[in-house]
Amino acid sequence: MRALAGCHTRVLALTVLAVTAGTLFGRGQSPTALRSGAAPTLAKVVDLIPASLSGETNQDSEPFLAVQAANPQVMVASAFTPNPISSTGNAPVYVSEDAGNTWVLSAITPVQRMTCDITHAMSIGENHPRGDLHAGTLACAASITLDESESDDVSSSAIMNVQSSRTNVDQPFVRALAFSNVDHIYIGVNDLGQSSGRTATVDVSLDGGTTYKSFSIESRKTMGQDGPSVRPAIAPDNTVYAAFFGWRKFNGSIATSDVVVVRDDSGATGSHPFQALKDPSDKLPGRLVVKKVSIPWSNAPTLGQERIGSTLSIAVDPNNSSTVYVGWADRGRKGDIYTLHVRRSTDRGLTWSKSDLPHTTISNATNIALAVANNGTAGLLYQQLSGGRWVTHVVQSRDAFATIQDTILATVPANTPAGQFLPYLGDYDYLLAAGNEFRGVFSANNTPDRANFPQGVTYQRAADFNTRTLTDGSGNPVAISIDPFYFSVSVLP
Amino acid sequence: MSLLAPGAFPQATNNQAALAKQSSIIFVGTVSQVAATSFTGVPKSAQTVVVRVDSVLKKPAAVSLKKGDTVTVEVKDPAAFHEGMQATFYTEGWIFGSGVAVKELGHAAPSSPSSGDTPGAAETAEKTVGQVQSEITDQDLQRLLASCDYVVIGRITAVHPWAIPKSAGPRYRTSEHSANWQEAVLQVQAVLKGPKPKKNKMVVRFPLSRDVAWASAPKFQPGQQGIFILRRDEVSGAPTASSGGYKGDVYTCLKPGDWLPMTEEARVRSLLKNR
Repeated sequence: MRALAGCHTRVLALTVLAVTAGTLFGRGQSPTALRSGAAPTLAKVVDLIPASLSGETNQDSEPFLAVQAANPQVMVASAFTPNPISSTGNAPVYVSEDAGNTWVLSAITPVQRMTCDITHAMSIGENHPRGDLHAGTLACAASITLDESESDDVSSSAIMNVQSSRTNVDQPFVRALAFSNVDHIYIGVNDLGQSSGRTATVDVSLDGGTTYKSFSIESRKTMGQDGPSVRPAIAPDNTVYAAFFGWRKFNGSIATSDVVVVRDDSGATGSHPFQALKDPSDKLPGRLVVKKVSIPWSNAPTLGQERIGSTLSIAVDPNNSSTVYVGWADRGRKGDIYTLHVRRSTDRGLTWSKSDLPHTTISNATNIALAVANNGTAGLLYQQLSGGRWVTHVVQSRDAFATIQDTILATVPANTPAGQFLPYLGDYDYLLAAGNEFRGVFSANNTPDRANFPQGVTYQRAADFNTRTLTDGSGNPVAISIDPFYFSVSVLP
Repeated sequence: MSLLAPGAFPQATNNQAALAKQSSIIFVGTVSQVAATSFTGVPKSAQTVVVRVDSVLKKPAAVSLKKGDTVTVEVKDPAAFHEGMQATFYTEGWIFGSGVAVKELGHAAPSSPSSGDTPGAAETAEKTVGQVQSEITDQDLQRLLASCDYVVIGRITAVHPWAIPKSAGPRYRTSEHSANWQEAVLQVQAVLKGPKPKKNKMVVRFPLSRDVAWASAPKFQPGQQGIFILRRDEVSGAPTASSGGYKGDVYTCLKPGDWLPMTEEARVRSLLKNR
């Protein structure tokens, strides 16, 4: 049975435009402090679990999304979704060929059963219109193994071709863009094998993944390593930024960290890439956006049932690479657990806003993801623990978040279901711009309750919204679990 | 029952049992279309046929599949199939969307109507699958027992964090996937496989982490008794231990079936005996 709830074209009841300025701290899901006035945003939210897997109860956390640039109808999403039928089969991804309305699960990654990290990007440099997918995956094996792999056609169901592989790395984060008919691929990784302790690294391929070179982007002394998140961002003019946490001290529960941004102006084609941006304090490559912030590290349920320690995002304006946003989380005020911040530079990373942009100091929140649309609108996706619920927001702004449109995509109970493993929702989610849409993915409790999805939602899997129960397709009840959800919202004009 | 022409399912019931073991989805169905697919997202080819499900014999609980559904089957030999043909399909999962797509591992066709005293393909296959399903756990366990270094019955007497030696430091930088290795001291009560350990004591290293990479590995507590299926440690990077009067090799126990409660003793002994 295919169950539908709400309508993705319905006007957003909770979409508001804030015309207030200043920092909003500790904001919950109620937008009472904000005044309405924006044109309504069209939103679509789709549970990715297909109808034929209606009986599944996995914790499908840590989602990611790639959109085929040449044909945005084609998308690939992923999560910690195991192969549904075999412990020795390949780990799957979700594929849509109709702009996210429907998804199939296809076991095409090179990893057995389930990935322990997966991100990916689709580009068009090699003229593979049905999806030239570049992925970075970690295998859940005894030694964590990174595979950098490619599929020429995500619709074919052929297993991805591994192009590069090595062990002892963490959190591969893939970005790709076509330059002169060749895909340039930039994979941020925390290369724990770097003997210098300067572990923040970008793997660069300038030939569609045929060959990769690794570049440490940390120029300063660390406490032995950098933080897990290393995030690249690419602009079409060949500007490549990368952000990372430069860990200066670590006591096991608090990392004293710089938030560092590096830049390369020629797509990392030179012999010493990512050194264009130097900090005035020490003249070393890598601008220190903030220095020595305290980032709590807890590999245990800490924020609700979620762990915390490394959420970071960077996004560049595709039509003006001088404008770049960076967002991260650290320990905010006393009594707060984890607070998001967003800063902006309008001079290619030379200088940054001295304090958080308005409306971007957000307490008890994680999974920050930034994107910038073609018209310069900035998008911010995050998940906030508020009133015992995980509330997923996508925020848009045309003026550096002085005024915002805040759309709540989901508000679900935070205490159910019980976590099966960590991360509960993910160490990241994802947002990107595709034409006049922001598209993204997040994971959440999958109770089929219309009240949980203010913009409406479409379930592919069997669900009864009247009784708020999932079924296996034959009428038998299925337990609530964590599912990945795709969404799109129209970009503010 | 009889089998299809050569190339389709060439052997007899023994092979049917073997196929059933390999198959994740088994169903009896009737071909409704050739060179076609049953839902969007499945690549259509000369090898894909659409089959209407008459009965489901085996499937994972997560998969929604029932009588009357249509399934896309990528068959090995398209010439062996025609519309209206009924067969038992032994398959592995392929693509999951609004419907199910599978790849054929083999198929068998009925030789006579499934009525009266003569069992048809469905009944025969169902019986075979039933036998196989009850054996699969044993088969998996047999595999674990065959590949391990030790099978012992014992009791955990102490658990402590593993002090990572400095030489292994670079291997143990901080990540969400850090295992948080612990060492459990195991007092061995009986050895079912492997040489007798020194002083009947062994050290088992296990990950306490609830990270996705390690969540399914057995976790141990003092006093815990059971059957331990152990391998020499090739994971932590430092395969020996020296603490609490114990000096020697370290073992791991990382897969979900590597620790079993004492209620499984008779089965383990039997499987070891029949290796």
